[in-house]
Amino acid sequence: MSDHEKAVLVAEGLQKAYGPRSALRGLTFTLRAGRLLGFLGPNGAGKTTSIRILTTIMEPDSGHFTVDGISHKHPDQIRRRIGVLPESFGLPKQMTGIEYLTYFGQLYGRSKSDAKSVGMELLEEVGLHKRARSLVSTYSHGMRQRIGIARALVNDPVVVFLDEPTIGLDPRGQQELLGLVQQVAEERAAGVILCSHLLSEVESVCDDVVILSSGEIVASGTVSDVIGKTEQNVMRIRVPAESLEEAQRELEAIPAVRKVAAASGMPGWIRVELDDAASEDHQINNRVLETLLRAEIPILSFEPEGGRLQDVFLQLTSGGIR
Amino acid sequence: MSGSDARAAVPRASPVWRIVFWRELRDLWIGGKALNMILLYTILLGIYAYLFASNSELNLLPQNEVVLEIVKASIAVGGFICLTIGADSFSGERERSTLESLLLTPISRREIVVGKFLAAVSPWAVAALVAVPYWITLAKGDAILGPTAVEGIVLGTLLAIAFAGVGMLVSVWCNSNKTSMLISLGLFVLLIFLSEFGPTDRGAQLEVASDYLQWVNPLAAVSRVLSATAMNHAPLHSLWIWIATPVLFPLVTLTLLFALAGPGLRLNAGSDRIWTPT
Repeated sequence: MSDHEKAVLVAEGLQKAYGPRSALRGLTFTLRAGRLLGFLGPNGAGKTTSIRILTTIMEPDSGHFTVDGISHKHPDQIRRRIGVLPESFGLPKQMTGIEYLTYFGQLYGRSKSDAKSVGMELLEEVGLHKRARSLVSTYSHGMRQRIGIARALVNDPVVVFLDEPTIGLDPRGQQELLGLVQQVAEERAAGVILCSHLLSEVESVCDDVVILSSGEIVASGTVSDVIGKTEQNVMRIRVPAESLEEAQRELEAIPAVRKVAAASGMPGWIRVELDDAASEDHQINNRVLETLLRAEIPILSFEPEGGRLQDVFLQLTSGGIR
Repeated sequence: MSGSDARAAVPRASPVWRIVFWRELRDLWIGGKALNMILLYTILLGIYAYLFASNSELNLLPQNEVVLEIVKASIAVGGFICLTIGADSFSGERERSTLESLLLTPISRREIVVGKFLAAVSPWAVAALVAVPYWITLAKGDAILGPTAVEGIVLGTLLAIAFAGVGMLVSVWCNSNKTSMLISLGLFVLLIFLSEFGPTDRGAQLEVASDYLQWVNPLAAVSRVLSATAMNHAPLHSLWIWIATPVLFPLVTLTLLFALAGPGLRLNAGSDRIWTPT
């Protein structure tokens, strides 16, 4: 088995309750080396609880997990093998970037000189080498996230947890940071867990995805597999506002169409639900569009619902498809 | 050796508590928190000394009593500084969101506590150094200075250790720095207040109760020891019962801190039952 196929994190049946409230109900998934796994879920779904358990900050009530083959019963050994960027983390006011990384390097058992040279390499890797001797309190938000990632890599981890790393960053900052995250997974052959609310970024950079809802996994697998699990027999079509009624009439006349309605929250869009049998018909989308074209109704836009991670997320986390 | 083997076998360069200690020390002194407190302490001691030297009523006090009062004040304020720094140690890190990163490292909780504790006691060493010139000035060559200064430094060290420990214990169990500070300050004010209930002549029963209150109160017990030796030249062995309190106080505090609170140090104070949905 190559390094890239090796399971670096295996979680089985993890459960956690806060008093009578169950926060996590049987979390089971595997992360392989060099893979980027998106960890998704609405607020209160159990993401932070999961991350805190997997990073040994909390103990599970039941179930178990291993990191690089080490059981969760040895948290100190697991901590040697993981790197974590918590959602909110503070930085000391009186330290420079290199001092900060040197300090954490030493906490992981490196000598001061070794920790310093590793720190410089990491600052170079995250693009902060020019600010190595600036106080971290003077860093911008993006730079703080970068040094947080550098700190998470100081022990050359096999699993990296990044909790909302792009939150509060401008689009360019988000793009650059995601590039860095991909680089970490690829070049270091580390398994990376990326918690994020930005579904488009997860879809664009992650290999695998786990979607949590109410403490349970509602979908997991590769991003394309998960997207493929949702309803494919719904489509959205955008037509000019003056043609909406006519378009609805034309579409309702198609035998394979079950329901036609204005798409909620999307002015100018029509939501077309097809019969279950229509999912077998690969030409159905073409026939629906053909009907509109024959009626000389301009089609401004068209997209299958469920074709994006955001659709899957919304469906699954609202108690839809399991 | 594979990457993960190397990771597991990394030899420690120096004891972790020492790394944490130096970092905390730096934060305290370069960050200015301890330095500011010591500056205030110096000013306070200066005012105290000036009053003793210039006030005509206080000037009538015998020299040994003047020395006694300034030594007692130095010990109380020095202990208070250690208490407040201890009280900020974990709740402050929780508030600044820096504790999680520390807890995610493979070092033991106890080592973190040891490093922070030693740093929290450090202001006492500086406070004692700052106080000695004042003591010497006010003693005006009185022979009582030597023994009182030695006793003051030893007993003050014991109290500083204990107060830093109490502050840290409170801090381990508080999520908010404000709560931690208020509890610590409340405890300190209570001890100061109770130490004012000195020997009474209002009957034997009240005297026993008062003595007991004085004995369980480390500040009062230290005051009693210092007063007895400075004013009455009492030999130390006759005061063993009063010396026991400042000796037992840090022992109990440190046992609780290192054996109980330290290993149980968590991201959220107390337990992980607190649920903070994201």
